[in-house]
This record gives sequence, structure tokens and C-alpha cells, in this order.
Amino acid sequence: MSVLTKQAPGPAVGAPLGEAPRRRPPRRKNQRSGYLFLLPWFLGMLFTIIPFFASLYLAFTDYNLFTEPNFVGLANFQAMFEDPRLLQSLKVTFIYTFVSVPISLATALLVALILNRGLQGLAIYRSVYYLPSLLGGSVAIVMLWRYIFGNDGIVNGFLGLFGIQGPAWVTDPEFALSTLIVLNVWTFGSPMVIFLAGLRQVPTMYYEAASIDGASKWRQFRSITLPLISPIIFFNLIMQLIGSFQTFTQGYVMSGGTGGPADSTLFYNLYLYQKGFTEFEMGYASAMAWLLLMIIAIFTAINFIASKFWVFYDN
Amino acid sequence: MKKTVSTPIPRRYFLGGAITLAGLALSGCGGGSAPASGGAVELNFVFWGDANRAKVTEAALRVFEEKNPGITVKTEYQDSGPYADKLATRFAGGNPPDVLAMANRSLLEYAQRGTLADLKSLPELKLDAVPETVLSRGTVDGKLYGLATGVTTIGMVVNKTITDQAGVTIPDDKTWSWEDYAKFATEVTQKTGGKVYGAGFDVATETGPIMLARQRGEDFYTKDNKLGISEETMRDWFQYSVDLRAAGGYPPAGFFEQIGGSPAQSYLAKGTVASQIIPINNYRGYNDAVEGEVVLLRIPGETSGERRGYSADPTMLWSIAAKSKHPKEAAKLLDFLTNDSDGAAHTLTQRGVPINPEVAESITSKLSDDDKKFVDLMAAIQEDDLPAAYVYPKGASVVADTLKQLATEVEFGRVTPADAAKTFLEKSNAAINK
Repeated sequence: MSVLTKQAPGPAVGAPLGEAPRRRPPRRKNQRSGYLFLLPWFLGMLFTIIPFFASLYLAFTDYNLFTEPNFVGLANFQAMFEDPRLLQSLKVTFIYTFVSVPISLATALLVALILNRGLQGLAIYRSVYYLPSLLGGSVAIVMLWRYIFGNDGIVNGFLGLFGIQGPAWVTDPEFALSTLIVLNVWTFGSPMVIFLAGLRQVPTMYYEAASIDGASKWRQFRSITLPLISPIIFFNLIMQLIGSFQTFTQGYVMSGGTGGPADSTLFYNLYLYQKGFTEFEMGYASAMAWLLLMIIAIFTAINFIASKFWVFYDN
Repeated sequence: MKKTVSTPIPRRYFLGGAITLAGLALSGCGGGSAPASGGAVELNFVFWGDANRAKVTEAALRVFEEKNPGITVKTEYQDSGPYADKLATRFAGGNPPDVLAMANRSLLEYAQRGTLADLKSLPELKLDAVPETVLSRGTVDGKLYGLATGVTTIGMVVNKTITDQAGVTIPDDKTWSWEDYAKFATEVTQKTGGKVYGAGFDVATETGPIMLARQRGEDFYTKDNKLGISEETMRDWFQYSVDLRAAGGYPPAGFFEQIGGSPAQSYLAKGTVASQIIPINNYRGYNDAVEGEVVLLRIPGETSGERRGYSADPTMLWSIAAKSKHPKEAAKLLDFLTNDSDGAAHTLTQRGVPINPEVAESITSKLSDDDKKFVDLMAAIQEDDLPAAYVYPKGASVVADTLKQLATEVEFGRVTPADAAKTFLEKSNAAINK
């Protein structure tokens, strides 16, 4: 914060660094305090960077946790192509991501739009909707989810009122993943809060001008709101995609660590964990981690390229 | 806006790439045992189980500390799932506990990677009183890596209050066959109007097919550490539950939401099933948790099969880490746990019948009625000659997971028992021979 307040007010704040006035001492001072603020992050990075490179090395070994790793070249990566459970875990993760991310983003945007209409007690609603996203990945909530969707749970109890015998949501391989998708959609709060912040940035004069011209609400939404918040949609999309690809807790807790029933909730990271810590194939698990990194990188890159066609930067 | 969009992402990449190794880095934090002051030795002792097990274990350890001044024991315990995960990380991090509880199915995973000490090489641990058959269950290539904490086996528990009310007679368990059990279970469901299912045994735990295979003259795990069960027996194991479900004696698909867990969480305690297969050292726990009277019976098929299926199995095993800094003291602790009656006076049959017959004898007067029934059944089973049983091979945990997966596939009719049996053999053999 102090970095910003010390700078001259006005356009200089947003101006690129190269065009900053050539008064070097204050700038260096600014940088110093900037780095100071980043220090905790740099320290934290040490705990990430070292394992990061260690896992890159281990991906090419047969490391089994207990004995010295031997270099095996690309054997781990080759083995992946013949591993049916790996394919299953990719399938689970992709279905989960591509179903839950669009739904949760749409829900988040919709709720943000409603909340943005100047409701009384906005702060309360915002908190209420945001709360699940703080809790969604937690063990307690997933346990709760198990009970809600359990055979004697609220969902089937409710269906029972209408004489409908609900399926075994948690234990039937056909339904287990869908309950987790619902859980993920329920945690739309964090993209919602970001959408809400974005919506508040849209200058009201555009809407005023549009309504004078007789544009309908829908038209205003499509031609003003959507383009102006497209960078935020893009940001949320990327964050949600990456988060979904890395899902672990939900699958682990829901299935008691097995990825069951019948591997239907075997998320990629859960399988990676099983490989590493129950089958002791840490070399293979490391290779899997790098494959995931590449998958996420590819999807992020695709998004960045595609963003040129639909993301609009106002400034 | 552009800046906010791009900054958080690279960090996420790193998280994605390093998720595995983050665990490794953290493992260094696991309960390091700094040498206690005054030259005293602190042993780190870990096991899995519930609070009650921890309580009696602690009580025994206080006796050990009194008898061995200069040695203190610091314990840690968890549920079996997280315990297995944490143990792996601690070994990987080079910071293993000194003395630890080991599951039968994990023993060779650890032993064949050189992480466990040969218990025979530690003179502080006296093994003279321990029967050879018990030692063999922790021995690989002539080295003793795991010593049974006690012996147990599986048995059938039936809620007699429910069956009495329904007017169903429990067959004689000394002679009952699997068909008798199926008939009994189906009758219970019928006569309770479907409120209680007669059978509630777990299809997905390997102790079931291990028993069935032995009754048919096969060894699920053979002497040379391979998979010995035939495809046919495996198919019949799956088919049995499918047929019993169709007849109504076994609950519908999806009924069991939680497998394992404590007696209080069991379906027997909920009163929705009338019978269940359990490790019989837990009998007392079940009788306490269930409203009504629970009787302890033998597994069906013991006299109708080709040979006896029973064996006295290690409930779990004690091991000492090869890297333990205090192997002598660790061996003393293991000696205490195995041969000391004063310690056993606290732990009783918590981890099975003590393997030293003298110790087992010394605690009989202290046992509750239910624990006595367990010990008596254990003794009665061992009166006859039982076929030898062997160490679980490396890869046994993958076998257990495979069984779990396929049992669900069969439960929901996604694969036939025959196909499941075929797949089970393929996957299990691949894991064991790897």
C-alpha cells in the first residue's frame, strides 16, 4: 500500500515503469520497499523451488521413497501411455473441470449481477455467498456433503417426500462424481466476489448513455457489461481451470482415499498421491506431476491465445 | 487489469508441478526425537487405532518406563489410513519411528526395500517362547522383519436379539456351509419384512476370499510370495454376494456407504444388518456397540470345504526401523511388548491373543467375558491342524485396492463376477510380480 501512496498522484500510478520520471533515488527506494514486501513470498518460494526441481529430476528415476533413485530415462512417461487408471483419472478430472467450471462461473456472474443492483445489506449477502468457497475444499464440508447426499441424507429424504427413490449418490459409480461437481459449483463465491468488484468498476455513464438511446437491459448487458468485465471473466476462468485440474481433497475425503466407487472419483492428483504414497512409485508420481503441469500450461496457453479474440481491455 | 491477470498464474504452475514433493519437504517436520537430557533415550513408537487402544498402550508403556529407567517412549497414533500415509513419508524423509506397527499387507513393501531391522539380530528381544508358525508370518529370506502383536482371525458376528425376534434359528456354526449361511441370511430379511438384511459382510476385504481359497485347498498368497487363488474361486466369491443380494439376504447396491470404521459406526450397531464378518479380537467392541446380544461364530464352510480355511494370523506386526538410532532400546521395548505379563495386563487382547503362551495364560483371569469368548474361540480353532499361512507379498496393498474397485463394479452390475475375477488376477499378478 505504502508504495502506492508515496508515489505522485494522478496518471503516474498506472504508467509503465519505463516512462516514470527519471529521478532515480526515489524509484530505487520504492523498489526496495517493494521487495521487502515480497520477502515472505520469496522465502516461501524456497519451499516450492527446491521440490520443484527435485521432482523434475525424480520424474526420470525409479525413486520408491526408500532407496536411492536410479535414472530410468523416459520410462515413467512411456508407462503412462499403458496405464488405464491414469487415463481414468484424466477422464474424471476433465469431466469435472469442463462441467463444473462453466456452471460455477455462470452462477457466480449471475449472482454478482443480482447483488450489484444495489441491494440493502449487500455485505451480508456477499459474505453468505462467499463463505462456501472458503470451506468448499475443507475436509469438514466434504464430510457434510457425504451426509447430505448419503442414503439417509437430506437430498434423498427430500426426494422421498415426492415418492422418488433417490440413487445412492455417494456409493454409485454413476453418480459419485456428479455430487462433487455440485459441491464445486456451490463454491462459486470467490469468482463471484471478483465479478462483483469488476462490475462496480464499470462506469455508470455507459449505461446512462445506452438507456437514453433506448437499449434494453439485455442489450446493455451484452454490449457494455460483458465486454468491460471480460478481463475478469478471463481471470476467473484461468483460476478456476487451474484449481479444478488440481482437485484433490474432495475426491480423497469423499472416497476415503480410494478414488472409488470403482475409480469414479479418481482425480488426477488423487491418483498421483496414491502412486507416490501407497504404491511407493514416487518417480512415476513425479512424472505425473509434470504431465499435469504441461496439461495446465497447454490449457492456459490456449486460453491466453483465445483471449485475444474476446477479452477487451478498456485502457 | 492486465497485470492482475498474469501475476498469480506462474505461482500456480509451481504448485502444480511440486505438489508431490511438497509432501516430501514437509515430511522432515514429522516428530523428530531429539535426545532427551541426561543421556536418556527417547524412543518414538507409532501405531494405528482408536483412543481406547492408545489408552491401554500408554498404560503399558508407563510400566515399561518404570522397569527401564533412562528410556522414555513417545507415542503417536492415527487411524489406519492416515497412519499408512504418514509412515511412508517418515521413512522417505529419513526420519522413521523407532518402533512401529505394520500391517500384514505392507510388511514386504518395507522389508524388501531394506528399511526394517532384522529382529533376530537384536539379542535384547527374546523369541524363545514364540511359536515358529507365528515367527514365520514376519520372516522373509530367513530374516525376521515383523513380529506379531498377537494373533487373531476372522469370525461371524450375529445379532441374536434380532434373529430371535424374527424367529430365525442360527445354524450350528461348527458345521455350517456357505449355503446354510445364505439361507439363514435370506430368512432373516424375509422375516423382518426387509427392515434388517440378514448378511452384511464386506465383499471388498481380502480376508474373505483368503478364507474361501484356503477352504478350497488354494492359498490366496503362496509360500513363494505369489498370488495363488484361482480365477474360479475369485469368481465364486463375487458371485456369492450377487446371488445373495438377488435372493434378498444381502443389501442392495450402494447400501454400504462406509466400510470399516469403528464398531459403533458399523451397520451391525445401526441394526440394519443382522450379521457381519469381523476380526474377532474386536468382538467385545461390537457387543458393546450393538444394542442386544451379539454372538461370535465361526466362518461358514469350515467342514464342508476341502480343508480348513482358518489360520491364526498376526493382528498386526511390530517392526523396528533399520535406521533407528536406538536399536537396543527399541528391541527392549519389543521384548517388553511380547514377553512381559505386567504390560500385557493393560493391553490384554487389544491386539490379539499374546504370542507368548505364558503371557497369554497370565492375562486370562483379567479378561472380560467377551474377550474370553474371543480367546476361547481362537484356542478352539487352533486345536485342529490348520494349513500353513504365509506372509503377504510385496504389492499386497495394490491387490487390496484392486479388490475394492472390482467389488464395487460387481455390486453395481457393471462387470460380471467372471470378468471381475479375470481382471483381479491380471492386475494383482502384475502388481506382485513388478
